[in-house]
Amino acid sequence: MNIAVCVKQVPDTASQIKISDNNTTIDDGEIKYEINPFDEYALEEAFRLKDNDNNVNITVISLGPERVKQSLTKILAMGADNAVHLHTDEIIYDCMSIANIISEEIKKKQYDLILFGKKSVDQDNNQVGIMIGEINGISCISNCSEFKIEDNKIIANREVEGSIEVFESEFPAIITHEKGRNELRYPSLKDLMAAKKKTIETINIDINELKNSEIIKLEYPNKREEGVIIGEDKTSVSELIRILREEKKLI
Amino acid sequence: MFKIASILTIIESKNNEIKNSSLELLSESQKISSIKNLDNNVMILGKYNEDNLKQINEFGIDSLFIGATDNITNYSAELYRDAVLDIINQLKPETILCSGSAIGKDISPRIAANLKYNLVTECIEISILEDVYHIKRPIYAGKVIQTIKFNQKPIVISLKSNSFAIEKGTKNDIKVKTIENQTSNEKIPILKEIIQPQKETLDVSEASIIVSGGRGMKEPDNFKLIEELAEILDAAVGASRAVVDAGWRPHSEQVGQTGKIVSPNLYIAIGISGAIQHQVGMINSKCIVAINKDKNAPIFKFADYGIVGDLFEIIPEFISELKK
Repeated sequence: MNIAVCVKQVPDTASQIKISDNNTTIDDGEIKYEINPFDEYALEEAFRLKDNDNNVNITVISLGPERVKQSLTKILAMGADNAVHLHTDEIIYDCMSIANIISEEIKKKQYDLILFGKKSVDQDNNQVGIMIGEINGISCISNCSEFKIEDNKIIANREVEGSIEVFESEFPAIITHEKGRNELRYPSLKDLMAAKKKTIETINIDINELKNSEIIKLEYPNKREEGVIIGEDKTSVSELIRILREEKKLI
Repeated sequence: MFKIASILTIIESKNNEIKNSSLELLSESQKISSIKNLDNNVMILGKYNEDNLKQINEFGIDSLFIGATDNITNYSAELYRDAVLDIINQLKPETILCSGSAIGKDISPRIAANLKYNLVTECIEISILEDVYHIKRPIYAGKVIQTIKFNQKPIVISLKSNSFAIEKGTKNDIKVKTIENQTSNEKIPILKEIIQPQKETLDVSEASIIVSGGRGMKEPDNFKLIEELAEILDAAVGASRAVVDAGWRPHSEQVGQTGKIVSPNLYIAIGISGAIQHQVGMINSKCIVAINKDKNAPIFKFADYGIVGDLFEIIPEFISELKK
């Protein structure tokens, strides 16, 4: 079984984001880039399938600048068989353009399963995996917190408001992963050293981004004023309730 | 006045009622259609009943389309998508408005990809300058707000829930139209089962009040206090990443960068320190209340009201005061 996992490098979630002087990009001088958290859950599920089945072959695909190679090497050390770096130094914002670029790569091999994180935590778009399904005519089940393979079918749990929808799909299929049950494994130092010798296939990408949109500005959200401490013990509860009920009319 | 172009707004119902997030859409679509002089069309996904019409008849709607999804009991991305595409192909709207619900998030990229339209998700503000959309949306989980200008029409816009006011406007005689669907024989995923929680619970993404607990709850069993307070307030239960990662609470309750990004009217954070990953998930709540024994906890830096103290004394008091 051929599995592709598409990953993105994003600023570590603890990063402070600084807006550049031009007001349209961010200053990434001090940012530490990591694998997008939702992609990590997708990766771990792929590795677990491989743990139980020698016939699983994992290709990891990532679009981005040179720094992406670090993450790809780490993922090779964790157990991926192949890594493809779709290399570009340009930041692409338009999801359709990204989906088209990744689709070109996916078409090169017969993948049975293509995994994505449900969204990247930088641009928060929630689009690319689903779009790739539509572009290539592959069924996509989005926002899955877990999935398994049974009788040559995929059973996936899609999280929706207040409940879980269990879908069954034939292969090939795309899954976009919610936060899952299993944290991504760490590679051993030995595997990391070995992975540095593995080849990452690099493909330079010509950008044909649809220039239909333009980022006008970035700004920080309004800062919240520091509020009031009503009190230091349970006697302040009645005052809190009075404020919420009578002043704010919230309860 | 004769309207040459149109907008299509895709709304949803749940338990026979139009969802609040959809009422936000209708408020916005009424505004947009009056500014841009668009024919205001609405499509309802899922079950439709006559009462729904009463709920939505004060939003200046010209036509309501009942698609084939009325007969589909459970969600199917492909069938819903096809039903929407059938209407779009007939109506050729210049703007398509969706919600940021689970269905909205799943269906909007499908529509955009099929029609090769731009899609912009999680919008929190829409302005129209010289007939061009300027859209604000949070990025980096809300650490930054981006303004994007879209030169191209048509466009698909999905709105972040709880970000727009529900404002009724003109009462119209809504024309109800039924659309026949083209059937395709594409192989599609089948919904086998819906797993419901043991108790009907409110989801953090839809609730107007959230009561959240963190590490300060000390052990999973103590979340009974949070649940009880939430029930009295008709609120959803939320959780910090720490307690979700520890397995105390399900991920569906997690508020934060890798959980849900919420903006309820009232957010009560109990035993939550307010680390940045949590902060970005709830900072846009209209009112934040923090209860924490550590007066230096970061949460007090941005909470509107705080009580410094032992939550195991404060919460029972809170519950009994509310019950009075």
